[in-house]
Amino acid sequence: MKLNERSVAHYATCDSPPDKTGFLFKKGERNTAYHRRWFVLKGNMLFYFEERDSREPIGVIVLEGCTVELCESAEEFAFAIKFDCAKARVYKMAAENQAAMESWVKALSRASFDYMRLVVKELERQLEEIQEAAGGGCVGAGVGGLQGRPKSSSRRNQVVARSRSGASSSTSSSSSISSSSSASPMAGPFPAQKSLQDEVQLFSDCSKENGVAWSKPPAAFANGFVEGASSCVAWEACTDSGNNTVIGYGADGMRAPPVPPRRRGASLESPVSPGTGCFSKLHDWYGREVEELRVQWLQSQ
Amino acid sequence: MRFNEKELVSLSRQPSEMAAELGMRGPKKGDVVKKRLVKLVVNFLFYFRIDEEEPIGALLLEQCRVEREDSQSFSITFLDEAERKYLFECDSEEQRRQWVDSIMKASYEFMRKNLIFYRTEIHRLTGKDPLEQYGISDETRFQVNNGLRLMPRDTSSL
Repeated sequence: MKLNERSVAHYATCDSPPDKTGFLFKKGERNTAYHRRWFVLKGNMLFYFEERDSREPIGVIVLEGCTVELCESAEEFAFAIKFDCAKARVYKMAAENQAAMESWVKALSRASFDYMRLVVKELERQLEEIQEAAGGGCVGAGVGGLQGRPKSSSRRNQVVARSRSGASSSTSSSSSISSSSSASPMAGPFPAQKSLQDEVQLFSDCSKENGVAWSKPPAAFANGFVEGASSCVAWEACTDSGNNTVIGYGADGMRAPPVPPRRRGASLESPVSPGTGCFSKLHDWYGREVEELRVQWLQSQ
Repeated sequence: MRFNEKELVSLSRQPSEMAAELGMRGPKKGDVVKKRLVKLVVNFLFYFRIDEEEPIGALLLEQCRVEREDSQSFSITFLDEAERKYLFECDSEEQRRQWVDSIMKASYEFMRKNLIFYRTEIHRLTGKDPLEQYGISDETRFQVNNGLRLMPRDTSSL
C-alpha cells in the first residue's frame, strides 16, 4: 500500500512541536537485538530516527488502535505496543529508566486521534454549557438547549477553519499508567459522541490548510452569527456581565453554532455583542495570531 | 521509510467519517482521473479501486492544504511539495464542500488547536482549567501557553 511518505517524513521533522521525544530501545524485527533509536511522538504518529540529529526518520508507527502494555522481558523497563489486527506486529520497546518508561507508556496510550477528539468534544460541550448558563433565560421558545446538554440532533458542531503549528510542549508528569489508547482513560464522564454534524459550508472559496499559515487572507469567511441569529431580540436580551461569547438564536429556537475561534476576529460587521470589550480583545488576539501566521508562512517560503 | 502497513490497512477498514466514489488524479505528470473509493478515517485518506478490499494507498492529512478547484472538485497538496496536487472530482458542489470541510478538520493538529482554544476560553470564563478534573492538565498534547509564539524546532527530550 502506498503512503505519502515524503510528506509524512516532513511532518516528523517540521516545526510543529512534538508531544514527546527521547531515546528508547526498540527490538528489531528479525534481528532480535534492541537498537537505541531517537523517538518523536507527534499526534498519533511515532517516528523513530537513527540518531537524534538525523534528518529523516527510519520509520513510523501509526498508533491508531494500539494498546500499550508493560511486558515481561529480560530487558528492564520494557513495554510493548500491540495492535488488534491479524498478524499484527508487536513492537517491543525499552526505556532507560522507570520514569521514562511510565512517561512513554502514558503518552503513547493516549496518542490516538479518538482520544484527542473525545477531549475536544468534551471541552466544546463544556464551553457551550457555560455560554448557555451565562446567557440563559432570554429565549422563550426552543430552550431545549438551555436545559442541560443540548440534544445532538439540534446541535450543530462547529469547528475552526484551520490550524497551525505552534502549540507548546512541556514535561508531562506521569502519575498513572493507562494501558489502552482506544478506551477513554479518564476519570470523568466523557460522552461517547459519535458523529460531528457538519455546519453549512461558509467558506467555500477559501483554501484551507491544516499546517502552516494561510496563503490567502481569511477575508472570505462569512460570519456564523449572521447565519444563525435571525432574531435581533435574542441578542439584546442575552446581555450579561460582559464575559459572554454570544450565541445567536434563530426564530425556531435552533441555536446557531458556537463561533469557531478564527471567525470572530475576521468579521467586524457582526452585531454589537453584549461582551464587546471581550470581543475586541479576542479580535486583537486573533489579529495578532494571523499576523504571526503570515510571518511564519513567509519565513517558510 | 518503514511503516506498519498491516495496521494501516486494518485502519482503512474501520468506520469512516466520509466515504464516496470520487474521481481521483495523482500528482504526477501524466496521471489521469480514475474512479476510486475514497475513505476518510481519522487523519488518513484511503483510496481503493472500486470493489477492492485493500486500499491502493493512504494519505496522512497533516501539514496539507485542501482547496476548492472548481465547483465540483477539490485538491490536496502537502506543504513540503506544494506543486504536487492530488485532485478529486465530486458529483456535486455540495459533496465537494462537505469533503473540503471534512478533510480540513481531519488533522490531529487541527483538533489540537481547537482544544487549546476551548481550554483557554473556558479558563477565561470560569477561572478554572477544564482539564484539571480529569487529571490531564499536564499532558504535553494539551499545553496552551505557547499558542501564539513562534517556536524554533526543538527536539530536546521533553
